[in-house]
Amino acid sequence: MTCEDYLEDPEGNASHLASCSICAALEEEVEVRHQPMSVDALPLAPWEGAKYRTWPLVGAGLLAVFTLAIVLSAAAEVSPLTAVTASMPSVKALLTFFQLTGRAMGAPVVAVLFVVINTVLFLLLRRAPKGADV
Amino acid sequence: MYRRLVVPLMAVTALLALFAVVSPTGADGQSRGKDAVYANRDVVIRTPVLGTVQLYGGTLVLDEVIHGDLLVISGKVIFGGRGRVEGNLIHAGSTILGAEGRIGGRIYPLASLEGAVSALTKTAIIASLLLVWMVVAVVVTLMSGREIRISSIELRSSALHCFVLGLVAMTSFVLTAIAFSYLVPYVVGIPLLAALGVFGLLTKVYGMIAIFHTVGTLVAGSRTRQQLERRTWLRGDLAMVVVGVLLLGAIRLIPIVGTVLWSLASIFGIGVALATRFGRREPWFLAFRAANA
Repeated sequence: MTCEDYLEDPEGNASHLASCSICAALEEEVEVRHQPMSVDALPLAPWEGAKYRTWPLVGAGLLAVFTLAIVLSAAAEVSPLTAVTASMPSVKALLTFFQLTGRAMGAPVVAVLFVVINTVLFLLLRRAPKGADV
Repeated sequence: MYRRLVVPLMAVTALLALFAVVSPTGADGQSRGKDAVYANRDVVIRTPVLGTVQLYGGTLVLDEVIHGDLLVISGKVIFGGRGRVEGNLIHAGSTILGAEGRIGGRIYPLASLEGAVSALTKTAIIASLLLVWMVVAVVVTLMSGREIRISSIELRSSALHCFVLGLVAMTSFVLTAIAFSYLVPYVVGIPLLAALGVFGLLTKVYGMIAIFHTVGTLVAGSRTRQQLERRTWLRGDLAMVVVGVLLLGAIRLIPIVGTVLWSLASIFGIGVALATRFGRREPWFLAFRAANA
């Protein structure tokens, strides 16, 4: 048994202490306090219960929204599919909007704003996230 | 002390830049070639215009022909006399009067709901879109629940940063789209714009689902372990997302308030999607460090 094996599992390889003076000295130096830990006293972690899937709630939610969409579409005399597709902005309109706005602003202004805003975006994206799922 | 001012200043800068981009009032009165731009003033067009006309705010009385397109943002257009647009009429947040039979091309509303005639049709469209949101949210949460949860936690722990990042990213998307639109005549602009559109759409969809999770957790999330164990329905990522969709969906049905809140939620969503790199918490850019020999 090597010192590494002992360090990986001190309790399982406790017999190593008898044969290794270095690890025995290390064990004496380190003060280990064995205290019972109450899990309930710890705050609730975000991942606890996160994998649970409440299918009745999903079904009820979908049914409620589906019913609402069907009833309102019927009242407005449009099909839900038509309503969804009609609500998408036209690609041609967006393209024309970008082209005309670009023309109105002028290429130099667009270039300067492009560099400034994307530099700010680059700086903001360098920050590490704060929240941790522990 | 100055560090505290950085984020609010960035927010203000991004807001001003976004406003300047989508409403280029500085270009008022300019004529680029055959085009004309008007901002926040009342204009009467009595001579034919060979190019396009753009109106940002104010009122335009059109008594002659515009041979190109007419773009109207937050303005009012009144057609009269020989007033006619040979190209397309594109409008957002505007009032258009007397356009029937006077548009050679098509009328495009930029905002999705403006094309709807009645309030009932608008509500039906919102409800139908809500159904799509619900289905997409459930599927994405089933596929990447952990990522959505991580983004939701990030949003709750640094909301202001996410908002500023979302605002700057939105401005960047619009500016990049404008820059790419210059390249459309060289063909390469089309795939670049398509790629940008897909990335923007994915960012918004992912971000909104993270927002649903956040809202669901804030409203219906368990506070203690005992509470979590007692619950049968309101637990887990999927339930939080569904609750969030239902709550935000109900708010979306309220006129004006719903639109404003969903727009704000979109900004937060885009910010959190980018801040966490779609929940993977990986850096966007690698930092350079010299190797130790």
